[in-house]
Amino acid sequence: MRANPEARPIAGGSDLLGWIKEDVQGTGEPRWNLLVDIRTIPGSDEIRFDEADGLTLGPLATLDAIEHSPEVQDRYPVLSRAAGAAASPNIRHVGTIGGNINQRPRCWYLRNTEFDCYKKGGNFCFAVTGKNEYHAILNGELCYIVHPSDAAPALMALHADATIRTADGEQTMPFDEYFIGPRQDVLRENVLQQGDLLTRIHMPTPSPNAGMSFIKAQRRGETYDFAVVNVATVIVHEGDQIEDASIVLSGVAPTPFRAVAAEDALRGQTVSDGLLQQAAGAALLRARPMTENAYKVGISKNLIVRSVREAMA
Amino acid sequence: MTTTEKPETAAAAGAPEYKVIGTRPVRPDGVDKVTGRAIYGADVRLPGMLYGRVKRSPHAHAIIKRLDVSKALALPGVQAVLTHEDFPEPAEPIMQTIRGPQPTAWDTERQMARRKVLFKGHPVAAVCASDVHTAEDALDLIEVEYEVLPAVVSLDTALLPGAPILHDDGKADAVEGLFELVDGKPSNIARRLDLTVGDIEVGFAEADVILEREYETSMAHQGYIEPHNGTAIWNNDGKLTIWTSTQGAFGIRQNVARTLNIPLGDLRVVPAEIGGGFGAKNVVYLEPLAALLSKKTGRPVQITMNRTEVLEATGPTSGTRSWVRMGAKRDGTIVAADIRLEYEAGAYPGSPMPGGARCALGPYAVPHQRIVGFDVVVNKPKVAAYRAPGAPASEFAVESLLDELAERLEMDPMDLRLKNCATAGTPRSDGATHGSIGAREVMEAVASHPHYRSEMGGRDVGRGVAMGFWQNGGGESSAYANVHQDGRVTLVTGSVDIGGQRAALAMQFAETMGIPYEDVNSLVGDTDTIGFTGNTGGSRTTFATGWAVYQAALDVRAQMEQRVAQMWEVDPSEVTYDPKDATLRGPEGKEITFKAAARRLPGTGGMIQGQADIVATNVGKVGACYGAHIADVEVDRETGKVTILRYTAVQDVGRAIHPAYVEGQIQGGAVQGIGMALNEEYVYNDDGTMVNSSFLDYRMPVANDVPMIETVMVEVPNPGHPFGVRGVGEVPIVPPLGAIANAIFDAVGVRVTRLPASPRVILEELEAAGGT
Repeated sequence: MRANPEARPIAGGSDLLGWIKEDVQGTGEPRWNLLVDIRTIPGSDEIRFDEADGLTLGPLATLDAIEHSPEVQDRYPVLSRAAGAAASPNIRHVGTIGGNINQRPRCWYLRNTEFDCYKKGGNFCFAVTGKNEYHAILNGELCYIVHPSDAAPALMALHADATIRTADGEQTMPFDEYFIGPRQDVLRENVLQQGDLLTRIHMPTPSPNAGMSFIKAQRRGETYDFAVVNVATVIVHEGDQIEDASIVLSGVAPTPFRAVAAEDALRGQTVSDGLLQQAAGAALLRARPMTENAYKVGISKNLIVRSVREAMA
Repeated sequence: MTTTEKPETAAAAGAPEYKVIGTRPVRPDGVDKVTGRAIYGADVRLPGMLYGRVKRSPHAHAIIKRLDVSKALALPGVQAVLTHEDFPEPAEPIMQTIRGPQPTAWDTERQMARRKVLFKGHPVAAVCASDVHTAEDALDLIEVEYEVLPAVVSLDTALLPGAPILHDDGKADAVEGLFELVDGKPSNIARRLDLTVGDIEVGFAEADVILEREYETSMAHQGYIEPHNGTAIWNNDGKLTIWTSTQGAFGIRQNVARTLNIPLGDLRVVPAEIGGGFGAKNVVYLEPLAALLSKKTGRPVQITMNRTEVLEATGPTSGTRSWVRMGAKRDGTIVAADIRLEYEAGAYPGSPMPGGARCALGPYAVPHQRIVGFDVVVNKPKVAAYRAPGAPASEFAVESLLDELAERLEMDPMDLRLKNCATAGTPRSDGATHGSIGAREVMEAVASHPHYRSEMGGRDVGRGVAMGFWQNGGGESSAYANVHQDGRVTLVTGSVDIGGQRAALAMQFAETMGIPYEDVNSLVGDTDTIGFTGNTGGSRTTFATGWAVYQAALDVRAQMEQRVAQMWEVDPSEVTYDPKDATLRGPEGKEITFKAAARRLPGTGGMIQGQADIVATNVGKVGACYGAHIADVEVDRETGKVTILRYTAVQDVGRAIHPAYVEGQIQGGAVQGIGMALNEEYVYNDDGTMVNSSFLDYRMPVANDVPMIETVMVEVPNPGHPFGVRGVGEVPIVPPLGAIANAIFDAVGVRVTRLPASPRVILEELEAAGGT
């Protein structure tokens, strides 16, 4: 794949095949002429938990397998719920964790062949002057996509690391550094270059005092929908006393958004309504909604408050 | 859960005891459909068949400056390319449509653009090739040069003085009332409709409370699973055969014959199994293109659409704006209503505004009314019928304002409605008077239903109720019945089966004959094998074609009486067919069963065939239909999400022939209305591009987004039908919009006046009300 820029790895294919069939590729990337099935790589779908070492996921573990893994359900409920919140049961049976976090954004301009936007190699973001009800309220620049993954914020909230194989060999990095914004490279949403593969996901064993929550706000009742906003929260606490907080949102920014200001506001504090409101407000302080998406600021704040409460319940 | 209520009126009339009607047998097409064996339009395979694709305009409004197909034609595998030049000039300059006369050329230009493109997705050329991928590649080789014009994508921009004018070619000048000048200038208002009852000045002068408000609904698509398709073979002898997914083979035949300027008799249209229509599959899109490509190549040609084409270039329902002003006395008597409706027609005139206007006040007796409707063209696909076309939007407005009126008058919302209920003899907005209707029975069934009377608990939960009215259609239907030697019967009708009609028709036939449902083999004919039959639409089929099969059964009975009289050598008047036990009886205790008599037919002059062609036009009694829905919702103030907790749909169904399919119609209609209320919308960019043209972004509710829709069938038989049938399919899409909006108000105190009530709308309304 490294030698052939027109080759692309395929696993579950639930995003890639639609991308190809709908012919939305622009000038920014070559037209794939070779799909390399990576599902046959031995062990690539493992789900392995070790009390001392933590949880290791092969990138090809399916969302369904992760959702229903007893260890994940027991020790990493935020991940189990995030995996189970994605797409439909059919897709979760073929869709992989690696695919879920590496899938391309759902921006309706990006996905429409008529719009040659930045992300396709063009020189415009149509959301800025167009219909932006579901676009970014935070960290948008050049391009205002939102990160579509349900699993990614959970991995970040759990302080997971990504191991990738590149031309220079293997590298491991926190997921906080794995996702990249439009300013860094508008054509990609993560560090992977042509030929690189995500090979392993690993996260530490959570503190016994960790409470977790995953909440997804979506348009339809229960079904098959990308998040308007979702939030994954891990709170380490003793009763009302918060020791540590990890809060990550998707659906609000071009990458999964770590609510650092909220985490800082909560860490070491005693939980209260006022504190939660202050923390949520701090997290969204830099929100810059566009013409149609200001309502997402409110949803984001409300979900942060709700998820911290839920994690500490 | 389902209950059937038989009100006093039905009991007093002595509701007959039926053996087949009211039971729930399996539909004849059921097994094939659940096992995947049913042949839909896109499943048709003919020897040597070519595959077509359509080149569509990327612009919503543009002049075609140059069209060059030579490179596409040169692509290996491409067999033919089609442009507007291949279409004949119309024989008649003006054609009649259900929305009035229109230039015939517009219908051809809708199918293949000539000078201008008027919506994104407007066909400009079509290609056929040995495989669909080659055809697809050929589209990219077609060169089209456009002069892009400003697009008109909303009512606001369409109605602005100085707005770009869509139909500037003068073709409308020949048709009176179409695009008349407004203030001496051309406009995008295709037609204006004025309905007046009484004098609203007088009415409002009597009012103690007057409320007014404006409402908006979004364009919404029918969302049928099966995309449009068309397969054609045009033989050298001039005979053209078309297979297609349609609600009416005869409607397609007429339209295609007109477009192609060929005799009706040269064209045979075969309706395939249909994967949903809801009104939109009465329209021709691909069939003439496939036919002309077949003529060019001498081979069968099939064209199918993908989902984006369906959303962008078929016929959704209108985006609308409704302004309503109503006045009531302190006791709740509504004295006046003033309504202004603006409906987007899409690129060509013909929105369902007239349906909206006629139905807006349908459930009520309002002495003074003025309803003004505008049919407005915009650079979007031409809208098509969608289940009770036009009614959901206007009745949403009226039902919302009524709820507000009830609140202001401190009345129970159902008490207010009952106080103003329309009954037989009440003047309708269109100048007629209501016939026998079940509005009161439906309202009373709601008011006394355990759901309506139950207590609601919890924060931010609320209950709403709304009525729905639809007039229902009649029209022409044909049926024949072949009696076989074993006493079984093959029943053929011209009604395409969308909602279980084959079963419902076989049941009416079996009931009339007194034979088991299983003895009737119910089929759908094509335009050459059955007499003219109107489309399956307007909730007409179980009613009108049901009437035809009833007549066909009477014909079989009469012929059997004749034959048996012949066998017994008695006068035919002495033989009677008794449907109670399907037995023919004559003098001196002679009797023979229908089955036994059928066995003897070959030796007594051959087999017989019953037949009927009817026109069901009993205006005023064709079974107008009422529904009322009760919705309980919970509104999440923090995320804007509306969850439906409980939902009950009450409907006057006249007589439920097959109760399970009636319930299915009610439930399906309710869910589509719920989609309009909460989820579904066309999102347009300013340039006229639909940005959410896939089912991922155009969100319809699916099974797990809604609770069980409880149905209550009230049976007020239609006196204008042998079995009392009223059409049931359309009205259930009407009430959900108002019921849910009213429930949202009850839950969180905000009036949602623009639908769908998405999280954004809910949160913006809550913020405006200061209540987040």
